Amino acid sequence: MDAPALAFRDVSKVYDASGGSRYALRGVSFEIPAGRRIAVVGRSGSGKSTLLNLAAGIDVPTGGSVLVGDADLGALDEGVRTRLRRDGIGLVFQFFYLLPHLSVFDNVALPAMIAGDAPGATAARVRELLGKVDLADRGTDPVQKLSGGEMQRVAICRALLRRPRLLLADEPTGNLDDASSRMVMDLMLQLAADEGSTLVYVTHSRELAALADETWALHSGVLERP
Amino acid sequence: MIRYARKALGAHLRAGRSLFTLTVLGVALGVASVLCIQIINRNALAAFEGALQAVSGDADLSVLGRAPTFPDSLYPAVLAEPGVQAAWPMVRVDAALAGREAFFLDVIGLDIFAPVRVPWSEPPADIAAAVATPGWAAVTPELAQEMGWRPGDAFDVSSGSRRARLVVGALVDFKRLTPLASRKLVVMDIAQAQALLGTPGRITQIDVQVAAGTAPADLAERLRRRLGPGVQVLTPEQRTTQAAGLLGAFRLNLTALSLISLFVGLFLVHTSTQAALVRRRMEFGLLRSLGATRGQVFTLILTEAAILGALGVAVGLPLGYWAARANVGVVSATLTNLYLLEGIERLVLPGWLYGLAAAVGIGGALAGAVLPALDVSRRDTKSLLAAFTLHERIGTVARPLAAAGLAILAAAAAWFVAFGRTWRPGGFVLGVALLTGLPLLTPLVVQRGARLVPVRGFGFRYSLRGLGVQLQTTAFAVAALGVAVAMLIGITLMVGSFRRTVELWVDRSVRADIYVSAASFRSGGNQATLDDSLVAALVAYPGAQAADRLRGQFVWAGSRADLARGGRRINVGGVDASLEGGIARFPLLRGDQDRAIRLMRDSGAVLVGETLYRKAGLDVGDTLFAFGPHGALAFPISGVFYDYTTEGGSAAMDLGTFAAAFGPGPITNVALYLPSGTAAERAVDDLKARFADRPLVVRSNRALRAEIFRIFDQTFAVTRILQAMSLLIATCGITLTLLILARERLSELALYRALGARRRQIFRVFVGKGLGMGALGFVLGAVGGLALAFILIFVINRAYFGWTIRLHWPWAALAQQAVTILATAGLASVYPALRASRTPATDLSRDDL
Repeated sequence: MDAPALAFRDVSKVYDASGGSRYALRGVSFEIPAGRRIAVVGRSGSGKSTLLNLAAGIDVPTGGSVLVGDADLGALDEGVRTRLRRDGIGLVFQFFYLLPHLSVFDNVALPAMIAGDAPGATAARVRELLGKVDLADRGTDPVQKLSGGEMQRVAICRALLRRPRLLLADEPTGNLDDASSRMVMDLMLQLAADEGSTLVYVTHSRELAALADETWALHSGVLERP
Repeated sequence: MIRYARKALGAHLRAGRSLFTLTVLGVALGVASVLCIQIINRNALAAFEGALQAVSGDADLSVLGRAPTFPDSLYPAVLAEPGVQAAWPMVRVDAALAGREAFFLDVIGLDIFAPVRVPWSEPPADIAAAVATPGWAAVTPELAQEMGWRPGDAFDVSSGSRRARLVVGALVDFKRLTPLASRKLVVMDIAQAQALLGTPGRITQIDVQVAAGTAPADLAERLRRRLGPGVQVLTPEQRTTQAAGLLGAFRLNLTALSLISLFVGLFLVHTSTQAALVRRRMEFGLLRSLGATRGQVFTLILTEAAILGALGVAVGLPLGYWAARANVGVVSATLTNLYLLEGIERLVLPGWLYGLAAAVGIGGALAGAVLPALDVSRRDTKSLLAAFTLHERIGTVARPLAAAGLAILAAAAAWFVAFGRTWRPGGFVLGVALLTGLPLLTPLVVQRGARLVPVRGFGFRYSLRGLGVQLQTTAFAVAALGVAVAMLIGITLMVGSFRRTVELWVDRSVRADIYVSAASFRSGGNQATLDDSLVAALVAYPGAQAADRLRGQFVWAGSRADLARGGRRINVGGVDASLEGGIARFPLLRGDQDRAIRLMRDSGAVLVGETLYRKAGLDVGDTLFAFGPHGALAFPISGVFYDYTTEGGSAAMDLGTFAAAFGPGPITNVALYLPSGTAAERAVDDLKARFADRPLVVRSNRALRAEIFRIFDQTFAVTRILQAMSLLIATCGITLTLLILARERLSELALYRALGARRRQIFRVFVGKGLGMGALGFVLGAVGGLALAFILIFVINRAYFGWTIRLHWPWAALAQQAVTILATAGLASVYPALRASRTPATDLSRDDL
C-alpha cells in the first residue's frame, strides 16, 4: 500500500511565551492519501498556520511525527527538510508574496531558479502553467500591474511549477473579494487535480471549505474530523 | 515622549549591538578624519609659532634678511633708531649631530649679555668664563636626557662642511616659555656660533623691543627706511602669516581631503540611521497609531541620532588624535624637506578642536539622519505596519535626481569655463559639484544597472537584480562607496601621474653621476655650504670628467608688482652655465634651449621655474625682480623650466651672475660627471674614503633618485591614510546596507527559504549583493575619480602649486585597487549574509496581521 501523502501522528507544537507555554497544536493525528483535497477551518489562533508550517517542514513538532510520504520531517536535519520542500511541496500564501523586482514569468520560475533547474525546460513549464490560468500574455509584466486575483493565480503557478506531491495553501483567498475568491479556489482545485497533487488548504470560509473532499476543523490546537 | 525615548533607546541599543557599533564607528571615522587633519594642520603652523615664541618671544619686531643672512654691521643702526628699547642680534644655524642619522640641532647664537630672557634651568655660575670656553653651548634638559649628556660632555656637530666640537655648558629650558619649544634648540654665544658654524660678520636676525609710547608699526617703517631693501622688519604675527602662506596650499588640500572623508561618513550615518529605523518601523507605526505626531516622531529620531553622534565623537576624538600622532612624523618631514620650516615634535590640541570635532560628529549625525527621519515621520501609519512594501519612492525620483546631478555638473563646468578659471579656488567648486552630482546620479545607475542583468538562476545575477528594489537603501551605500572610490582613484591617478612626471623630470635633470652636499643640507638647506678648499678638491677629483657647482639661497623676488608687496620667497640657484650640455639640467617648458643658456651664460639672464611662471605670470622676455643686498635687482628671463623641488618658486642663473647680484659666497652642492662606463658606487666609496673627515653626504645618481622619491612618497603618506579611512567608512556602509536589507526583506528571505532555498544559497545571494554594490560603486567611483583626477591635476594643482603634471595611468595600482575594493565589499557582506541566511521560513507566517 502506498504511503499517505501527508500524515500527522500525535503531533503537538508548543511555543514558549511570557506567562507560560502555549499549545498551538495538541495531539493532532491524521493521514491524507495521495490526491485528496482537504480544507481546514478554524478561528484565528486555532493553529491552522502552524499545521501548514509543520506539514511544509518549515517548522518541527514539539512532539509526535510529521510524515510526508515516507519521510519523517522531524527526524531530518534542516537542510534535508529544505530540499524536500523544494522538490516536493508547493506553498500558496494569503498575501501572495510575489517579488516586485521580478516579472510574472520570473516569479513563477523562482522555485526552479532556486533548485538550479535548466532554464529551457523551466520556460516551457512556466508558459504551460500561465496558459492554464489565462495569463500567458502577461509573462513580461511587472507583478504590480496585476489584480489581486491575478497575483494569486501567479502564486499558484509558482507553487505547482515543480510538480509537487503536496500543495499547501494558507488562506489563499484571504486577500481577495468574493468573486475572485471563488475563481481562484476553483482554479487551484482543478490544477491540483490535473497535476496529481494532494491539496491541503486553510480557509475561514465554510463555502470554500465545502469545495474540498473533506473539511476538518481546528479548535485551540485540537483537530476535529467528521 | 521623553520618558519613552529614555526607555526605548537603551532597549534598542541592546537589541541591535552590531548596528549600533557600526553607526558609532561611522561617525567616529568621519570625526577622526577631520580631527586628524585639523590637528596636523594646526600643529604644522604651531611648530613654527612655538619656535618663534621660544626664540623671539620677547621681541616686538624682528629684522630678517631677504637672504638667509645679512651683515651684522646693521646692528648698531638698529640700536641707534629712536624708539628701540633694546635689540639683540641672533645667528641661527641648522647643525647635523654627528653619529645620529638625520638629527639636526637648531643652534641659536645669542649675545648672552643682551637683555634677552634666556630660560636657564641650570645657569652657568660664571657666564663670562662660560662663553669664553670654545664650543660652549647650552642644551635643553630633554635633549641632554635623550643623549645622556651632562655638563662638561662634548658632542660633534657639522654645519655645511665645517665640523665643530661643542661642550654642554648649561641647561636651558625653552618649555618654560612655550610648551611647543623644540628640544633641539641649542644656545651659544653669537661670536662662537658665527665662527664655528656660521659666517663671521653675518647674522640671521635682530630682535627688537619697542620702547613704551612708540608704535611698533611706525618703528618698523623707520627701520625699513634706515636699513635698506636688504632686510625685512616684521612683527611676530607677520612672520606667522608668512609661514602660513607658505603652507597654505598644503594645508588647504589636506583639509579638502578630510572633508571628503567626512562626506562619506555622512552617508554612513544616513545608512545606519535608516538601518535603525527599519528595525523599528513597526514601533513607529504603533506610536503614530497611538497618537504620536509626525513632529514627535521626527524629534525622537533626531534626538537618538544626536546621542549616537555624541558617542561617535567620544570614539572619534582619541582615534583622530592617534591617527595624527601616527602621521606626525611624515608630515613633519614634509615641512622640513619641502618648506624648510620647523618639524613637529609634539602635538597640542587647542580647545576649539574638540568643539570642532563635536560639531562635526553631532552635526554630521543629525545631517545624515534628517532624511530618514523625515521619511519615517511622514509615512502613513499603515505602511509602517505593513510587512511587504511593493513600492520604492526613490525609484520614481531616480530620474529627476539624475537630471539634477547632471545639471549641477553642467552648471559647474559652464561656470568654471566662463568665470572660474581666474579664481584660485575655482577648482574646489568643481570638486564640490562632482561630489554632489555623483551621489545624485547613483539611484538611476543602480536602477538601470540592476535591470540590465537578465535573471537566469538564483545566484549573482539574481543578487544584482535585487539591488534595484531597495534603492532608498542600496543607492546610499553605493553613493558612499562611489565617492570614496572617486577619491581613491582620483588621488591615485594624480599621485601616480605626478610621480611619473617627476620620474621623467628627474631622468632629464638629475644627470650627474655623483652628488655631494653637507650632512646638514637636509635641514639647513642653502645655509649648509661647502668651504672653498673642499669644493676645489671635489672638482679636482681625478675620476671626474666634469664638475658642476651649485650655489643657492632664498630671496624675495617676483614681478614688479610682487616686489611692491614684499616679494615671494623663492629659491635661487647659481650654476655653471658654461658646463657643456648643462642646459639639459633644466628641461624647458618655454623658451629655446640654446638661446636660453647662451643668454644665461653671457647676458646675466635667468631661468625661472614653472611655478613662478604660473603664479607670478613671468614668462620668457619678462623681468624677474629681486631684493638684493643693496636694493632691487632685475634679471631678464630667457627660459621657463620644469621644477618640482618647491612650490614656492625658483630661479636659476650663472654663478657669475649670482656673485655679481648677491655677492661672493660659498657653494652648497657639487655634482660630478664620470666617464662613461665608470662604476658610480665605487667612486662614491672612494670619495667617502678621501673625505672621511668631512661631514659630507656623497650619493650616486641612483641613491639621490631614491631619496627624491622617498621624500615624494612621504609627502603623500597622509593622503593615503585619508583614502583608507574613506574606503573603510564606505565598506562599513555596505555592511550596514546589507543588514538593513536582511531586516527589511525578512519576509522575502523567509519566502526563499519556504520555497526551498538553502542557507548557503541565501548567503551567496547576499554576498552577491555586496559584490554588486561594490562593482556599481567602483564603476561610479572610477568615472568620478577620473574627473577628480583631472580637476586635481589640471585645475587645483595649477592654481595652488603651479606644476605641470602629465596624466599617467598607473594600471597596476588601479587594478590592485579594483581588486581591493571588490574584495572588501565581499568581506563586508559576509556578516550580513550569515545573518540573512539564518532567516527561518517561519518568519513568513503572520497569524496576527
